[in-house]
Amino acid sequence: MYMTTGLWPWFAAALTLAIYSFLYKDNPFYKIAEYIFVGLSAGYWASYMFWNYAKPNLFDPLFWPGDAARNYWNIIPLILGLLMFTQLFRQTSWMVRFPLTFVLGVALGLQIIATVEGDIIPQLAGTFDPFLKSNFAAYNFWQAAGSIVILGGVITTLTYFFFSIEHRGAFGLSAKTGVYFLMISFGASFGYTVMARISLLIGRLQFLLGDWLHVIK
Amino acid sequence: MRRQLPLAIIFVMGVFTIVTNFIPAKPVADLNQMFRNWYLGIITFFTFLGTINLARVSGERLKEKSRDWQYHIILLMALATQLFLGFYKWSPDALREGSPFMYVYFNLQFPLESTMYSLLAFFMTSASFRAFRARNKEALLLLLAAVVVMLGRVPIGSSIWHGFPSVTEWLMSYPNAAAKRGIMIGIDLGLISMSLRMILGIERSYMQ
Amino acid sequence: MSILDRISNLDRRIVFVAVALAVIIPLLIPVGLPVEVTPPVQKVYNVIESLPAGSVVLVSIDYDPSGAPELYPATLSVMRQCFARNLKMVVIGMWATGVPLGQRALKQVALDEYHKQYGVDYVNFGFRPGGAVMLVNLGRNIHDVCRQDVYGTPIEDIPMMEEIRSAKDIAFTITFSMGDPGSDQWIWYYHARYRGNLATAQTAIGAPKYYQYMQTGQLVGLIGGMKGAAEYETLVKQPGLATIGMDAQSIAHMLIIGFIVLGNVIYWFEKRRKK
Repeated sequence: MYMTTGLWPWFAAALTLAIYSFLYKDNPFYKIAEYIFVGLSAGYWASYMFWNYAKPNLFDPLFWPGDAARNYWNIIPLILGLLMFTQLFRQTSWMVRFPLTFVLGVALGLQIIATVEGDIIPQLAGTFDPFLKSNFAAYNFWQAAGSIVILGGVITTLTYFFFSIEHRGAFGLSAKTGVYFLMISFGASFGYTVMARISLLIGRLQFLLGDWLHVIK
Repeated sequence: MRRQLPLAIIFVMGVFTIVTNFIPAKPVADLNQMFRNWYLGIITFFTFLGTINLARVSGERLKEKSRDWQYHIILLMALATQLFLGFYKWSPDALREGSPFMYVYFNLQFPLESTMYSLLAFFMTSASFRAFRARNKEALLLLLAAVVVMLGRVPIGSSIWHGFPSVTEWLMSYPNAAAKRGIMIGIDLGLISMSLRMILGIERSYMQ
Repeated sequence: MSILDRISNLDRRIVFVAVALAVIIPLLIPVGLPVEVTPPVQKVYNVIESLPAGSVVLVSIDYDPSGAPELYPATLSVMRQCFARNLKMVVIGMWATGVPLGQRALKQVALDEYHKQYGVDYVNFGFRPGGAVMLVNLGRNIHDVCRQDVYGTPIEDIPMMEEIRSAKDIAFTITFSMGDPGSDQWIWYYHARYRGNLATAQTAIGAPKYYQYMQTGQLVGLIGGMKGAAEYETLVKQPGLATIGMDAQSIAHMLIIGFIVLGNVIYWFEKRRKK
C-alpha cells in the first residue's frame, strides 16, 4: 500500500519482524528497532515543525518577509519560545514559566469556552430536547424508547459519580442503574478496542504477505 | 517577580481569552487572533526542546554507561540521520514525497510505529483469556455487551444472526451514548474547575 | 494437573500463534463475507452526495501510521467520492506523521485516478500545529493559518483559495482522527463556533465516544474503524484493503470470543470444584 519497491520493503519487513520478536521474549533485535523508532520520530517531528510552521509563520514574517510587510510583533513569540530552552539549565529554568503561562492562559481560556459551548450545553440539550420539543409525540416506539434510555442513562450515570451523597435509597438505586449503563458502555468500548487492535495486526500482515512476500494482492 | 509575573500572565491571558470571546468587534477579534498566533509560534519550541532533551538524556546515559547504554548510540544515530535528511538541503523540499527523508519515513518509521501498536492485539487476546471473568452481574453485563459488539461489528455476525448489527447499533447509539455523555459531562466539569483554578493562580503545580 | 489446569495455564505464546493464524489464514484464503452498511456511515455518504459540484470539502488528516490500517482506506474512499462528484478539496493535518499519508492519498486519487488539477480542484496545506487554538484561527481566517501549501507556494498564488477564506466557505468538513488533537477539538472548538457539516472517521478505539455527538447533531456521521472503512468502500463501490481485511477481522473476533468464553467456563468449573 505505502511501500516503494526494491530493497526497501525488506528493511521494513526486517524491522516489523524485529518488533514481533518481542512476542517470544525481549531481545536485542526488538530493542534496536525500538530505539531506532524513538530517534527517527524525534528527528521527524523537529524537521516538520520547523519547515511547516516555525520558518514560514514565525521566522520569515520577521526576518525574511519578501514583498510583504515585516511583522515586528513576531519578536515576542520568538523571545518567549527561546525562553523555553532555559529549562535545560538549572540556574535559569525558572524563566520557562513565562512562555508556559502565556500558552496555558490562552489554552485554558479557550478550553473553558469550548467545554461549555461545544460539549456541556449541546450534550444537555441533546438529552432534554426530545421531551421539550413538540415533536416527541410523533416519535415512533424505538425513537421514544431511545430518548428515554438516553435521559435515564445520563442522569443515573451522573448520580453514580456523585460521591457527596451516600448511595442509599432512591439515589442508591439510580447510582446502581448508572453502573449498569457504564458496564454496557465499557463492554462496547472493549469490543471496539479489540476491533482496533486486530485491525492494526491485519494492516501489518497485509504488508508482510502482500508488499513483501507477494502472496496476497 | 519569579512567581507573581507568571501568575499575572496566566491570569491576564486566561481572562482576556474568555472575555473577548463575547466581543465580536474586529479590533478585539484581530488581537485575539494575534495572541493565538503567538501561541502557535511558541509551541513549536516545545518540540525543539523535546528533541534537545532527548539527545541530552541519551548522551548522559552514554556517558554514565548505564543499563542499555549501547542502544542510545542507535537512538542518537537515528535522530541525527533524520535531522540531517530534514535540513541538509536547507529547504522544505527536503520533506517532499520521494526525498530521502520520506523514504526513511515510509520504509523505516512507518512500519516501526504501526507494528509497535499492533503488538497489543496479541497481549489483549492473552489478557482476555486469563483475566476477563464474569465474577458478578456487572462484569457479566460488560462481557455480554462486548460479545454483542464484537459480533455486530464484523460481517460474520450478520451471517450468524441478522439482528446483531442492529442490536449493536442500538447499544452504541443509546445506552453507550448515554453513559459516555454522563462521563464526559463529569470530565468537562472537572476540566472547567481545574482550568479556573490554574487561571486564578490557585493551582500552581505547573510552575515546579 | 487436570485438563482444566493445563488449559488455564496455557503458554501465552500459543495464544499468540492462534491470533496470528486467525488473521493470516483468511488473508490467504478470503471468503468474501458481505459488508453491511450501518446508518452512521451511510449518513456521511449521503451528506457528501447531497453537495453540489464545486462545493468545498475540508479534510483533516489527524492520524499517524498506527491508525493507517483503519483510516487510510477510509481516506481513499471519501476522496474518491468527493472527486467523483467534482467537489473541491482543502487538505490539512494536525499530526505531522499523518501528512505524508494524506499526500500519498491525494496523489493516488486526485492525480492518478481522477486527473484533478492541483491548485484548482484541490490543495494540500500539510501540517498545521496548534490543535484546538489553530482550529479557532482556521475557521476565522484560513489564509492566516495556511500561509503556504506543502510545496511552499504562497496561498495568494493558489487559484482556488481566492474565494475560500473562512469556515463560511466550507460546505463540509471531515476529520480522519485517532486521538488528540482530533475530533474532539474539531467538535468543541471549530464546530461550536462556526457550525456547518462535520463528520469524523475514527479509529475503533475512539469511535464509541462519538455516538453521543451524532445524537446531538454535532456530527452528521461517523466512520468507525476498519469496518467503517469497509462500509465506505462498499458505498463507493471500490473494495480495497479494509474490505479484504474483514474476513480476518471476523475470524479473529470469533477466536477472541472463544478464548473469553473458554476462560469463563474454566473459571466456573474451578469455582464449583472449590465449593
